[in-house]
Amino acid sequence: MPVEVIMPKVDMDMATGKIMSWHVGEGEAVTKGAPLFDIETDKAAMEVEAPDNGILHHTAPEGTEVPIGQAVAWLYAEGEAVGEQPAPFAAAKTPEPAPSDEPVVADISHPEPDVSALPQFAPAPIAADRARATPKARAMARKSGLDINALHGSGPLGRIQAEDVLSALQTVPAMVAAPGFSAENGPLSVTRSRGGTGTPVVLIHGFASDAQSWAPLEAHLKHRPLVRIELPGHGKSPKLRIADFAALSRTLRQCFDSLGLENAHLVGHSLGGALSLALADTRPRSVASLTLIAPAGLGPEINGAALSGLLKATRAESLGPWLKALVADETLITDAYVRLAMSGRSEPNLRHAQSALADVLFPDGVQAFDLRAALDRIERPTRIIWGKQDGIIPWKHAFGAPGHVALHLFKGIGHMPQIECADAVGSILKSAV
Amino acid sequence: MSIDMTEDSNVPYAIRTYPPEKLKDALRKMYLIRKFEEGAEDSYTRGLIHGTMHLCIGQEASSVGTCLSLTDSDKITSTHRGHGHCIAKGADVAKMFAEFFGKETGYCRGRGGSMHIADPSKGNLGANGIVGGGLPIAVGAALSAKRLGRDDVTICFFGDGANNEGAFHESVNMAAVWKLPVVFVCENNKYGMSTSIDRSTSVKSIADRAKGYDIPGVSVDGNDISAVAEAIETAVARARAGEGPSLVENVTYRWRGHSKSDRNRYRTKEEISDWMERDPIPRFAADLVSHGILSDAEVAELDADTDREIAEAIDFARSGPDPDISALTRDVYTETAA
Amino acid sequence: MNTHATIEAPTRELSYAEAIREAMDIALGSDEAVVLMGEDIGVYGGAFQVTGDLVHKYGEDRVIDTPISELGGAGVAVGAALTGLKPIFEFQFSDFAALAMEQIVNQAAKVRYMLGGAVSVPVVMRFPAGSGTGAAAQHSQSIEAWLGHVPGLKVVQPSTPEDVKGMLLAALEDPDPVMIFEHKILYKMKGHVPEGYYTTPIGKAAIRREGKDLSIVATSLMVHKALAAAETLAGEGIDAEVIDLRTVRPMDRETVLNSVRKTGRLVCVYEGVKTLGIGAEISAMVAESDAFDFLDAPIIRLGGAECPIPYNPELEKAAVPQIPDILEAARAIAKGHV
Repeated sequence: MPVEVIMPKVDMDMATGKIMSWHVGEGEAVTKGAPLFDIETDKAAMEVEAPDNGILHHTAPEGTEVPIGQAVAWLYAEGEAVGEQPAPFAAAKTPEPAPSDEPVVADISHPEPDVSALPQFAPAPIAADRARATPKARAMARKSGLDINALHGSGPLGRIQAEDVLSALQTVPAMVAAPGFSAENGPLSVTRSRGGTGTPVVLIHGFASDAQSWAPLEAHLKHRPLVRIELPGHGKSPKLRIADFAALSRTLRQCFDSLGLENAHLVGHSLGGALSLALADTRPRSVASLTLIAPAGLGPEINGAALSGLLKATRAESLGPWLKALVADETLITDAYVRLAMSGRSEPNLRHAQSALADVLFPDGVQAFDLRAALDRIERPTRIIWGKQDGIIPWKHAFGAPGHVALHLFKGIGHMPQIECADAVGSILKSAV
Repeated sequence: MSIDMTEDSNVPYAIRTYPPEKLKDALRKMYLIRKFEEGAEDSYTRGLIHGTMHLCIGQEASSVGTCLSLTDSDKITSTHRGHGHCIAKGADVAKMFAEFFGKETGYCRGRGGSMHIADPSKGNLGANGIVGGGLPIAVGAALSAKRLGRDDVTICFFGDGANNEGAFHESVNMAAVWKLPVVFVCENNKYGMSTSIDRSTSVKSIADRAKGYDIPGVSVDGNDISAVAEAIETAVARARAGEGPSLVENVTYRWRGHSKSDRNRYRTKEEISDWMERDPIPRFAADLVSHGILSDAEVAELDADTDREIAEAIDFARSGPDPDISALTRDVYTETAA
Repeated sequence: MNTHATIEAPTRELSYAEAIREAMDIALGSDEAVVLMGEDIGVYGGAFQVTGDLVHKYGEDRVIDTPISELGGAGVAVGAALTGLKPIFEFQFSDFAALAMEQIVNQAAKVRYMLGGAVSVPVVMRFPAGSGTGAAAQHSQSIEAWLGHVPGLKVVQPSTPEDVKGMLLAALEDPDPVMIFEHKILYKMKGHVPEGYYTTPIGKAAIRREGKDLSIVATSLMVHKALAAAETLAGEGIDAEVIDLRTVRPMDRETVLNSVRKTGRLVCVYEGVKTLGIGAEISAMVAESDAFDFLDAPIIRLGGAECPIPYNPELEKAAVPQIPDILEAARAIAKGHV
């Protein structure tokens, strides 16, 4: 049996060694302890002595990198038959990048990950307007359903302390309960564009918005007749008393039915998206296609703080920060824009009606309706458009969509893609409607 | 047997002092140490065990000769080059290997490794990763023996490197002042890592350090087990008699580098091969044969038996269970019943 | 071990130093294995007269004057503890422990773990500590956090005569190394001390004053400053809770966290250097726990200044927290000024 000559481990952290040169030629005799070969590690070079007496055969070529403990040659006894090399040389592995547990590169073209496996998604904090508050004040506000960002801080630097939350709870009960409003009656407000041919496009705006919000997108949809519906308590629609999402959905369906459209493309944003989806679910034959922009209804989370901030604002100064929460690029929200938006919200009864609606639709900052099953049932061509910096509704809700629904996810865009990137959204719609 | 056992004969001290069985066991332990170190080196070289280790190949006579007359209640403190001391003091090589392999079945349950092997049941208080670390501890053990009226002695192994540590001087001084039953055994293998004693130590012989503390100091050929045993017996007897500590210097040589990282740039091949000529094991074996204690065949049998014992020990070690990660912080403190 | 005092024994006034001496007297009288070791602890009575005349009662064999060899002496105590004695080792000043760090940190703290639980080290070390004596930079430090960083050690800072006696006796019952930091200013402080044997638990903080508005967690001498500050604050309508941490390692999480959950405000007061010290640990402990949710103001740490202890009396005072500092901090967070 030939004696194996191995690559010795000569240093604590050595994994492989390189054979630099052999002191003894193939077939030559060597005595135990005589220099046999030189190795080089990443730290130093050194000489390796023969482990035994014998005739050297099957030497690994100079320059080869061999893992420690692996054979580099064999020593045969005098007269021992030399046959095949007893074992092949082990190759030193080139170090590979450490295997990670899962791919980290997100690629939208790959199958979407199981949404249930995603980490729990909390409403995105709005850093610029995050209130300064103590941990205790935050915990108290959280428990009592108060929006910490809406409180006044009496501490240094305006820090909200526990006593500020306490006094808020004692003196402003209206902040937690929905305010009352004087209800009205009548049909929803519907406006139509001039011009355009073919299947009309029905536009349903989001919560606390109105039909004017479609203006930037409409420029791309002039080839079709456009029909805008305003939700109860929004724009020029009456302030109806709405019991729940089903009731709201019913109201909208009645309005849609009254339009007498044989077929229509539905485009809805946010709450309007949820309502479009519900409408498509109950009137499938009247719907040519469905476009949901940052839609509600696909998961429980919503930024309750931003909603109540929008609702409570009575001045441009307090509205501005919350409007900025709607978009990724805050420079879009100019002072002029804020003033214009505020003028549309200046009527207290409108704000109160919206607050009452929010109270039934989004109690405690949670979406109280779930349309994921409806989305699964939809057979009409459907696409979801979402901004990946949406601070109002987590864009990852889109991952719950079934395979036949197309996803268009925009980097660097917030909750208002139809305004923030109207051109891109417009061209998607143009090819679809 | 017809050996002349009188003191003035040429019969070595060990052979005229100890019974044949003890002498045979001494040779067996020397083989065991040599093979243990070779087995450890081989396992390390093959990448089977990690860390580093300090091999005492060439120093077997010092370990075995020093521990030859000790009982299990006598204590030793050891050094980073402690495998030989451990085996000489009666440790089980299987549990030592298991410790090297980091196994729960090792002496330290995989927490200590090469540099911390201990066996308190045999009086071995442990190797030490700190140069000079064991010196004051040995003095403390001797203080316990004296205070508690036990007649055990403590052997304090240390290397030539430690003789320049403050701990050495403080410890020897205290042991001398308090006349404690401790024997300081310096294994002078001539190099503290790469620095020779000529370059590090102000006295010619480390035994001369004893003068500074007014205790006996003797230097012996550490590769001659009999000379070592004789010097230790004298020192131990003095310690047991309550006369205080002694310093014994075993002059020896390590064949291998300081540790596995040593490139051996500070010693010549000639110096190493000179010392290899003075291998303590064949020297003792030849003595035993020439004085009729063992036959050549019996020596060969010891050689083969210890090979087998080491192979079995490595098998035992490799197959042992790894420590449970959840027990990471066990034994930081003593568990006490609440 | 479980005789921790709910103290009903008769008490009398003793100084802190006398209370320590009484504990050592009880230990020496009831357990032959107990020995005292240290510099000038014999006829001199100890640099702070803590051991007093114990040498006359128990003899030089049990009240052992060591040479000025901190490393050696501490190591001897470790070795003795490993082999049957229960040494109480006195450093003359805690600052001198720097000389013995090797034996404290590398040996005493780690031996048990390195040996897989095979041994324990029942050594007690006493460290006269702290500033206020005009002894300047090398005789005034508070180094308890250094040792508190080492797993394997237990570190206590008793603040009263009653506690120091009970904790010293508890330390002697503890199988692991216990480091006792004694503030030198406390040595002359008098207080009620129960007669006879009792222990005060290691690892348990004491609430010295209950309060609802803020928690002051203090150690050693700072406990007394915090209590004085709390009285002043009470007159201002601020109801401070004062917690005496007593043990640095293992730290009593629950007592501290419960207090913070109650008051929502925390001031840490300790004499060691502020940065990377005990206050950092307490603050992090709060921040990592659910008690975080109860914080209603930033945490304030009052620790030693970032400099050695200076000689000039006014500078020396300025280098460690004083009562006005505690008042200022407490007012600031109680009234929401920070």
